[in-house]
Amino acid sequence: MATTLSFDASSDPILQRRREIQGVATASLKRRKVYSKIAVAVCWAFLGIAIIPLVAVVAYVVIKGLPAWNPDFFTHVTTPEGIAGGGVWNAIVGTAEIGIIATGVAVPLGLSCGLFLAESEGKVAGAVRFTADVMTGVPSITIGIFGYIAIVKNFGYSGLAGAFAIGIVMLPVIVRAGETAFRGVPPTLSEAALALGARKSVIARRVVVPAALPGVITGVLLAVARGLGETAPLLLTVFGNQYMQWNPTKPMNALTLVIFENSSQPYADLIQVAWGAALLLMVVVLVLSIGSRVTAAVLRREKR
Amino acid sequence: MTAQASTGTRRRLAHVAAVGVVAAGALLAACSSSATPAATTAPPGGTLSSANAAYIAADLKAPAGAPIAAGSTFVQPFFTKAFYTYTSLNSGLQVNYSGVGSGTGLTDFESGSVDFAASDVPMAASDLAKVPASKGPVIQIPDILGGVSISYNLPGVTKRIKLDAATLAGIFDGTIKTWNASQITALNPGVTLPSNAIVPEVRADSSGTTYIFTNYLAVAAPSVWTLGTNKTIAWPSVAVQTPKNSGVASSIKSTPYSIGYVELAYALQNNFTFAAIKNAAGVYVVPSQASVAADADQRLNVTPTDFSIVNEPGAASYPIAGYSWAILLQKQTSATTGAQVVKVLDWTTHTGGGQDQAAGLGYVALPPGLQNSNRTTLLTVTGPSGQPLLSK
Amino acid sequence: MRRGRRFGLSNRAYWGLLVGMAAVFVALVVWYLVSIVVQARPAFSTLGFSWIFSKVWDPTHGRFGLLPFILGTFETTAIALVLAVPIGLGTAIALAHLVPDRLRPPLSTAVELLAAVPSVVYGLWGLIVLAPVFRSTVEPFLSSVLGWTGLFNGPSDGVGLLLAGVILFVMVLPTMVAISRDVLAVVPVEQVEGALALGATKWQVLRKVVVPGARTGILGGFTLAMGRALGETVAVALVIGNSPFIAHSVKAPAATLASLIVNNFGEATGTELAALFGAALVLLVIGISVNALARVLVKSTVRGGAASVAVA
Repeated sequence: MATTLSFDASSDPILQRRREIQGVATASLKRRKVYSKIAVAVCWAFLGIAIIPLVAVVAYVVIKGLPAWNPDFFTHVTTPEGIAGGGVWNAIVGTAEIGIIATGVAVPLGLSCGLFLAESEGKVAGAVRFTADVMTGVPSITIGIFGYIAIVKNFGYSGLAGAFAIGIVMLPVIVRAGETAFRGVPPTLSEAALALGARKSVIARRVVVPAALPGVITGVLLAVARGLGETAPLLLTVFGNQYMQWNPTKPMNALTLVIFENSSQPYADLIQVAWGAALLLMVVVLVLSIGSRVTAAVLRREKR
Repeated sequence: MTAQASTGTRRRLAHVAAVGVVAAGALLAACSSSATPAATTAPPGGTLSSANAAYIAADLKAPAGAPIAAGSTFVQPFFTKAFYTYTSLNSGLQVNYSGVGSGTGLTDFESGSVDFAASDVPMAASDLAKVPASKGPVIQIPDILGGVSISYNLPGVTKRIKLDAATLAGIFDGTIKTWNASQITALNPGVTLPSNAIVPEVRADSSGTTYIFTNYLAVAAPSVWTLGTNKTIAWPSVAVQTPKNSGVASSIKSTPYSIGYVELAYALQNNFTFAAIKNAAGVYVVPSQASVAADADQRLNVTPTDFSIVNEPGAASYPIAGYSWAILLQKQTSATTGAQVVKVLDWTTHTGGGQDQAAGLGYVALPPGLQNSNRTTLLTVTGPSGQPLLSK
Repeated sequence: MRRGRRFGLSNRAYWGLLVGMAAVFVALVVWYLVSIVVQARPAFSTLGFSWIFSKVWDPTHGRFGLLPFILGTFETTAIALVLAVPIGLGTAIALAHLVPDRLRPPLSTAVELLAAVPSVVYGLWGLIVLAPVFRSTVEPFLSSVLGWTGLFNGPSDGVGLLLAGVILFVMVLPTMVAISRDVLAVVPVEQVEGALALGATKWQVLRKVVVPGARTGILGGFTLAMGRALGETVAVALVIGNSPFIAHSVKAPAATLASLIVNNFGEATGTELAALFGAALVLLVIGISVNALARVLVKSTVRGGAASVAVA
């Protein structure tokens, strides 16, 4: 016997249920889309908010600092109030030497620590990580004081004491940012290398570090920007110098010292020099930032 | 020349010479027909010893080297300019001075990290105790003079206002709260003062300028001023605290109805409006390099333990002034460095040398009589084998 | 294949080297800690311990107390982070996932440029440019809108907790953004695509996949930002009003432990100097406590897996 299937689309419970679900889904999608649009708009708005102070501060430094830039500014040493033709050449040399020495020591040390933290999970690693976190919150003047107690009291004021202090300011940032970057490398990459029989040091050198390079560069750049922009540690360690000094074992001048000291003077031309130095510092970090990203991109393309 | 004479004899000779010069000056002043009634005493400030030029010339022959010195931020612009000028005349000797703060400067001096130090307040007994006895006595000499202006920002009031110590004490301890309070209007008849609240502007950081200002309040209004004399004061909550003279100056400029104490060089360089302050003679004096010098001239016998020159007598004196001090060891351990230090300091603290740079920067030169006693003191500095290091 | 050592250090030597470096780092920190403690000891032997919680800082009369500065440190850091975390995260999300590829490098560099500004410049800009604006516009506006919270009492001076918090926010923003952006960008693309395939909207993908995947990195950025905010000295000293009293309003002037140290260190001697070292020690203890707290909070919200181990 043939059974007739009576199928009424308008009253079939399955179809009804399906329509219900579709209705909810469409409503949900509409609502979720609205939320999404709002949230995305908020993110854009926040980006805009982040750019505002950037524009304001950079514009201010440019407006106040650019008038100080002339050939003398870059080639002459600092001169006291009333002596024309002064510049910041000795401060440039000082900042460069201190920055290079501090970075040269802090980056390998910090990245090694970061690698250590990324590759270990125990309590010891936890303690080291905690130490790095706490040290990022230490006022830079206390690091300057530490440099004074540790180095200056025994060996006198010098560029090296300043590099020591700046290095300690940079170190925790590099450690933590480095660890974050190294952890971001997919474990599959290192596991593949391990399966191929590579030793851990080779994996680190050839796989992990290159893969983490963008993050590492960000971390190092943040640390260097912070280090170059610090004043208090330098005041108590490098001492400052009105004359040219290439020898890092002697007191040196630095751009941040010039900014700090000159900006609190009553004399307009010294204040001018301070802003010129501030602008120079910003430009230097900008150049380092762009330069390192370009280098990283070039290196990555070479490896292919 | 007189190298064979003992230091004691030379000191006595120098004293006699100074007294002789002062006495001669007094005689001349008394004989002068245009003498003012007060001219029966020596000319205020004293007269510079005639041997000065010879010493200045000899100072420029110091051995080459690069001594370092640290301390007061107040003297940094002056020292930097003075030492730069010195090096332009004697290129082998470059003095590196850094304004790390008087406290750190003293710590450096105590530990031997610097060859001499500078401090806005001379070393107290507790600081001197930290210098090892083996290093010998410590010499402290005033190296420059500065004044403290009371600058204010009072929209709508064009006439310069007058204030005295008691009123200032009330303003800065928060008891006088508005500009049209009776104490202020009483001193400024004919000036319409607004009823706005006063915003006192003070130093957030420890500072010699604060010391001089509070010293003045303590000396000139002792019954009213209770917050003490120090580089750091517990100001009332109504006071706005900003670091550094430049910070206070900036704050005054941008805060209407504010009033604060700012080192004279800042006030002069930035054309501030400052008050006329009542001095010990009852005259309202405007701060200037001349009026600060007039105050200092009234008291030449300052010593490291008795160094306050606020509120001195004299009609032309501006009462809020003070010295900054250079500090060195009497027994230098190296003849070369010792000669450099003592000659540079002698050159810097005398007219014809570093003091000539003071006025252009907003500082005030040391009174001539004080310069003479400075030299007397510096003449006692000896090298490791006891030989005096300063000579003409 | 480049020439050179093919096989590298033995695993043991490699690990020894890494551990050695970590040990050097820890040794430096311990040396720092010991130096501070030694310098601070005279304050504790002369004044005891309770002075830390006393309210009066008056070296002229030999009275020292750190409570207002401790509170000021917390308050400025809190304001800075309340602003920096959402805005920083939002900016990072925008940079990592919303911004067209070509604009990403210049905009990223632009935000990082904020890190290049020396802190003294931030302080000066805050004092000269922002403070008058705050005094005349921002603070009266906030008082009228948010006055009901009771947090905006008192006169609008311009300088104070709010300005200091805002300046700190600007200073820590590049750290928060840069590190978050990097970890947000490396979330595995398969997870993102999988979520999209399931019908998730952009925001749902971000909220449920990308951000959680980057959680530990974001925490790292947050920690660095908090560290910077706690320890910033010169910029804060210029804009916080340096009032050694407990602030009763967000607009009021205040002071932090770091600003206290930087303002007084150069001139201090004797007991005052030791007390400043004591302040440094207290700040260190605060840093330790706050970091430990952050750790505990994150651990309690993370539900197992690699993330919780990484946080340890």
